[in-house]
Amino acid sequence: MEVEKGKTFKYLREKKGVNQEVKDNLKHFTKIKKVILDALKEKDLTVEELTQQLKMPKHEVVYYLMSLVKYGFVKTGVIDDMDEYFNYKISK
Amino acid sequence: MPGKIINNSFDALVIGGGIAGGEAALNIANNGFKVLIIEKDLSIGGKMILLSKVFPTLDCSACITTPKVSEISRHPGITIFTGSEVKNIAKIKENSFEAEVVRNPRYVNVDDCTGCQLCEEACPVLVPDQYQYNLVGRKAAFIPHSIASPRAAAIDIENCTLCGACEKVCPAKCIDFTQETETYHLKIKTVVLATGFNLFDPLKIPRYGFGQFKNVITSMQMERQLAPTRPFSTILRPGDGKVPDKIAYVLCTGSRDATIGNPICSQICCMYSIKQAQLLMGALPMADVTIYYINIRSFGKGFEEFYDQAKGMGVNFIKGKIGKISETDKGNLILRYEDINENIVKETEHDMVVLSVGVLPNPENSSFFPNEQLKLDPFNFVYQTDCLASPALTSIHGVFVAGTASGPMDIPDSILSAGAASSEAISYLTQKK
Ligand SMILES: Cc1cc2nc3c(=O)[nH]c(=O)nc-3n(C[C@H](O)[C@H](O)[C@H](O)COP(=O)(O)OP(=O)(O)OC[C@H]3O[C@@H](n4cnc5c(N)ncnc54)[C@H](O)[C@@H]3O)c2cc1C
Ligand code: SF4
Repeated sequence: MEVEKGKTFKYLREKKGVNQEVKDNLKHFTKIKKVILDALKEKDLTVEELTQQLKMPKHEVVYYLMSLVKYGFVKTGVIDDMDEYFNYKISK
Repeated sequence: MPGKIINNSFDALVIGGGIAGGEAALNIANNGFKVLIIEKDLSIGGKMILLSKVFPTLDCSACITTPKVSEISRHPGITIFTGSEVKNIAKIKENSFEAEVVRNPRYVNVDDCTGCQLCEEACPVLVPDQYQYNLVGRKAAFIPHSIASPRAAAIDIENCTLCGACEKVCPAKCIDFTQETETYHLKIKTVVLATGFNLFDPLKIPRYGFGQFKNVITSMQMERQLAPTRPFSTILRPGDGKVPDKIAYVLCTGSRDATIGNPICSQICCMYSIKQAQLLMGALPMADVTIYYINIRSFGKGFEEFYDQAKGMGVNFIKGKIGKISETDKGNLILRYEDINENIVKETEHDMVVLSVGVLPNPENSSFFPNEQLKLDPFNFVYQTDCLASPALTSIHGVFVAGTASGPMDIPDSILSAGAASSEAISYLTQKK
């Protein structure tokens, strides 16, 4: 069967489907991305401040925040007077 | 792809495309033989391509690896299958082996991919990035890392939602979800095992708190934090994003410890920890770095001087055995240890701990030859039948071993070992021609 170039994802989706865990992971990330970006739209924040707002474990905030930095949604801002914690700002 | 293979016979099959396998393949191919490298990962380069700088010269690892990897990839005598596995190899007679190789679909036509990363940008999925040792996420459509070879995208089909975002944006139309697993039956004349080593999993020592205390990381995670292609903009604690200023190294994590099944020295951890300590003092000039050790094994050329250099830079060395690590409510770590010189138990607080994890054998070696006995040494590395005079010989005539597949060693020794393996392979190919 010839599958149209540019639409081969449909072929595999019909053939093998997508499991629930993968769908749930996407939903989870999409939600977290939105809440982090919404919070940063208001003002620049540190990990500590984001943790308090998001009620998420700090290490998870670091993981998602750094991933958003990697993909260009967030930028690293300035470090505090003690040279310990940076704040983060929206970049898009 | 099948069309890319000119024939299904090669002179040499090299299993593993790390620095040892790559070097062995180059030497064999430079002597006019046709070589096939089977690499299970999406990129060749092994662990070396992910390192920051190398001891004892502090040369940039990527700057050494990238030209080498590019020479291997462009060599007309070398064919590379990434994302592939050797299912089995049968020895028919001297100079004649048959191998079954499975090539897993990448869902990207590598030759057409320009590495533009538009697919990565479009993909909505985020999963832990194994090339950053899970410190940060990556997409399901992704380029393994910026100096990967091939520098082409791949689809992580296990985590893909098949939304098609990547395929829609790809300007080269190189994403192809119709790709399927391919099986190759190959005729070859000699085999080089260069399957490298595994890293010790520190979850096996629960008293060190890895996994539970987020500011306890492995040396490979610190290596990534120090590399130019680092996950964060600077060195940070994964637990809370703080810039650390009191960092401890725990040497011999998973080495020289019969209780966790690995009684031998991993040979490289002392030196890579001393290297990282020096790099940390460069990256964080105010930081205080302490290395807890049992013995410092600085046995190679220039190693003792490198150790002295670290001491001169202010790295603290404590001869101490760590009993337990606990966490304070600020995410700092308290190391309880026996000070071996003073023979007393002490406790010290640090804000980040790096576990210098050891080198373990790759258990896959024993599965390649169902009809032959590939002998392993008492620690499950590939047995060298003539360790002193011909270190590349294995228990199967015509099968040679290169690099850390035969035991822990650093990069220069892996390259030397690959030189020995390729010389033996060339001699075997020439004699039996
Ligand atoms: C944290 C850290 C820092 C280090 N720093 C230094 C340093 O500064 N200087 C130094 O000299 N050394 C250093 N080393 C050691 C160095 O990484 C090794 O000496 C070197 O990588 C060994 O190369 P190798 O090719 O033998 O193995 P590897 O690098 O492990 O490569 C093996 C390759 O084989 C592939 N493979 C495995 N199994 C299969 C299979 N079944 N089929 C197909 N392919 C397979 C793997 O995917 C991999 O690509 C460091 C190591 C660590 C862990
Ligand atoms: S099809 Fe898969 S890999 Fe491509 S964008 Fe969607 S989730 Fe990502």
